Amino acid sequence: MPTSILGPYFRTIVTVAVIAAALVFSFTYARDGVYVEIQPLFEWMETTWFGYVGKTWGAAFATIQAGHLIGLAVLGGCVLVSDGRLLGVVLTDVPHRIVVDRADAVFRWALATLLLTGIFMACGVAMKIYYLPVYWYKMLGLACGILFHYYVRRPLVAHELGSINPIVLKMTAIASILVWFLVAATGRWIGFSG
Amino acid sequence: MSELIYNFAVWVDDTPWSAMLHESYYMYNWVESTHVLTLMISLGMLFLIDLRMLGWAFPDVPASKIADRLNIPMMVGFTVMFITGILLFYAVPVRSVQSIWFRIKMVLLVGCAINAYLFHKRMNESVSSWDNEAKAPQRIRNGAMLSLGFWTVVVICGRFIAYDWFDCDYPQPAFIEFVAGCVDGQTRF
Repeated sequence: MPTSILGPYFRTIVTVAVIAAALVFSFTYARDGVYVEIQPLFEWMETTWFGYVGKTWGAAFATIQAGHLIGLAVLGGCVLVSDGRLLGVVLTDVPHRIVVDRADAVFRWALATLLLTGIFMACGVAMKIYYLPVYWYKMLGLACGILFHYYVRRPLVAHELGSINPIVLKMTAIASILVWFLVAATGRWIGFSG
Repeated sequence: MSELIYNFAVWVDDTPWSAMLHESYYMYNWVESTHVLTLMISLGMLFLIDLRMLGWAFPDVPASKIADRLNIPMMVGFTVMFITGILLFYAVPVRSVQSIWFRIKMVLLVGCAINAYLFHKRMNESVSSWDNEAKAPQRIRNGAMLSLGFWTVVVICGRFIAYDWFDCDYPQPAFIEFVAGCVDGQTRF
């Protein structure tokens, strides 16, 4: 069983390997074949109802963008509170477990909001973002963020926190903050591109 | 009044630093990005406090603890947003003061400040009796809902400022010209 070979960190190691493979794929010529293959998907996205609304009604697009920003704000708040607690800087008088679990419940809704509004926005400007490298950096960051959150951070903090090396816990919290900041920053960068 | 505001904006626009900031591609974008990304600290914390009062987040953590502990990072976030917001206004003063979205946003920000004051006042008066309840009393929940609503519209207006639908350099209906404070014969936009 691979689990026994890799010990309790099986999922974490596999996830890190997947993220590493995705990074290698993204920053080498390996992606070029796939890139051309998915162009019809982006062309189709512009023809969907979301694409039509996004392109036709600027106000609707901007309102959904605002929803995206609010989702980002709530997600950022959850990440900062939860990881801030792991770092020992926020809500230090509330048990780790409660802060991490309760923040995660809100995080899920914020992420769902971000994904839904993000899909709508992507449909409205599908061909523009298809040609934007920074959009792909954001998608890569988002994929890393989701994988990291659900397959590295969450399983790790599911253990009794007192049994985890504090340095590992703090490094995980810092990595989590950085990866979500990267997602937000690349999202903002899309606005300056094209 | 509109002319006074316009003249003030033109005066700000004429200051060398305003033009430098506006024309500086990287600096302007850094300021704007900081303004937007600080949402995660300011609104992120504020929304968690509001959601706690509504019983939708951290229901088993005392409300006063959430409000007290998240207040500091929230205020740090709002301070950064306020400073970067002033810089953004400083870079594009004329168009900003004549944007109806900017004007609505400013009015709503005053509304947010009044609501926050009343919310904290009411909370401090009564929190000891409901601190451990999953939901705050109705009055506090109303304040939290109002806060969520106001800030949502503030964000929408902030996003709308980027669009030129009601700018004074296009022919607009009289009502829009009045609300936006367009000035007859103005040469600066």
